[in-house]
Amino acid sequence: MIKAEPKTILHFVWSYFDVLRELFDVQSQDGLIRKEMLEIILERNKRDIKSQLIEYKILRNTNDDFELRDVYYKLIEFILFEFRPLLPEEIEKFGTSISDLFRNIKEGINGDKAILVERIRGLSSQIKEFTDSVEKNSIRLLNESRELKSNVSRLDYREKIQRASFWIQYYILPLNSILDVNHSESITNKMLNVSEFANQKRLTFTDEGIRQSFEKLYFQLIQANDDLLKQSKLLTNELLPLIERIRTESLIITGWIEFLQTHNKIQPPKLLKSKKDNPYSKRVYLNTKEYFEQFKTDEEAIIADDDQQYETWVFNKSKYKRKLINSLPIDNFFDWCGEQLKDDTNEITNEKVFALTGLLFEDDIEVNSITNSEFLNIKTRTSKISVPILNVKKNGLP
Amino acid sequence: MDYPEMHRQIVEDLLDGKFILSRERQFDQIKENEEFYIGFFMASFNHELELTNEFARLVSEDTDENLSRDISIFFAILCYELDKQGKNFLDVLQYSEFSMEEINYLFDNSSWIDLIQSNKQLRDSDTRKRFIFSSMGKRSIIDKVSDERFYFTPAYKVFIDFAKELAQHTLNGQQ
Repeated sequence: MIKAEPKTILHFVWSYFDVLRELFDVQSQDGLIRKEMLEIILERNKRDIKSQLIEYKILRNTNDDFELRDVYYKLIEFILFEFRPLLPEEIEKFGTSISDLFRNIKEGINGDKAILVERIRGLSSQIKEFTDSVEKNSIRLLNESRELKSNVSRLDYREKIQRASFWIQYYILPLNSILDVNHSESITNKMLNVSEFANQKRLTFTDEGIRQSFEKLYFQLIQANDDLLKQSKLLTNELLPLIERIRTESLIITGWIEFLQTHNKIQPPKLLKSKKDNPYSKRVYLNTKEYFEQFKTDEEAIIADDDQQYETWVFNKSKYKRKLINSLPIDNFFDWCGEQLKDDTNEITNEKVFALTGLLFEDDIEVNSITNSEFLNIKTRTSKISVPILNVKKNGLP
Repeated sequence: MDYPEMHRQIVEDLLDGKFILSRERQFDQIKENEEFYIGFFMASFNHELELTNEFARLVSEDTDENLSRDISIFFAILCYELDKQGKNFLDVLQYSEFSMEEINYLFDNSSWIDLIQSNKQLRDSDTRKRFIFSSMGKRSIIDKVSDERFYFTPAYKVFIDFAKELAQHTLNGQQ
């Protein structure tokens, strides 16, 4: 009987968890907590709590030394996710109890209902413990394998292989046999038989209460089967090929394993926070305004007078057409153009040449080119234009 | 005062947390005006310009820790799983194109599944896809090939270097 209130004990565990953790580590390593070690830990933490540890039944005496009671040990183990590796024999015992209970259920199916319900409950509890043990063991073995892979303790290759072989021989391979569904004696296979039986009875059993118990057991087994499959996959993919996997070593993988194990405590690489604002940000109004204002054209436009004098020349088509008709036949059209422009204007420009060239498309003249003849060069104010020598005569006349 | 060509785009991209890659025109401008930009970002924003042969980016105390942590977890699991398959993960990161199908297979079958499922960005194929193409794409850590395919840009090296430094730090601490 514990005199203290439950909340007082929980508060004590919360307040002195660091001490409990140290005690847990010592017990995990040495199997018990020597009385000298208990004194050292309490003194180091400046905590005089030995009497409460005993009073609240957290610690128990073993001769002169101490140990954490199972319930506290398992609680801390679970919270820290640091499980003790279970030997195959410790897991296989569940196989025996599951088989025994199942056999008794089948044999006593028509017997006393109360004991039948208790046996179903007992079977359910053993299955729960079995799946928990397998999961905890997988976690521990996975951590061991990751530790070997990251090799922070710088073991040499031979030592690494020795450790890996040890884990494979005594823990991984036996666990694989326990989970191997193809092996008739595996616990997983036994559970499949129980599942089949429970499924049948949850539908056909006459008593409703027992039907419900079988139904509960059946759904528990479905879940357990899924969980075990997950563990089995883990074994096949990651633990069985352990020796193969530790053959290579990489500093980067060591770093990544370290990071994944403690990612909340490690500062990741710096990555600049984006300056983009959310629509509800305080700064968004001014930023949006600034964005749109950049497209406003506020610059003053100034139109300045150009002092340069330009010749005003308007192409008088009818005048030049009349001159052309009167000069026909013409042996060299562009030569004629040059003479006309020299007579009428100060300078020859591209615009003037092209305007006169337009006369060639009039209907009442006929244009012929002299093949293989040389080209004539016309020099305008800005360009040199190479043109063919063209004969022009009145349309229809020889 | 004359600013280098593409100055505005360089400043906007870098302040958005983007990696400017060596194949981009802005990168040449930064490289040519390295001194100017180092001074400019330090004086204007108190940001440090990190310029390697492969990318330019800004680094400061104003860091997006959550995103960086998620990207680190992503690379950590990817490297771990590729290594588990017996692949040279550095070669794969540098030279290979990835499909979402491949990424999903690696993540769904990973022994880090508890961590993956507790991460909002990586917990399923949809969030993963969004995370890769949007969050990592926006910062030019990946290049999109199609709706389902991508490859990593040299920006991934920031995270690989981080893992190396972390390992070194851990190993030194053990000695």
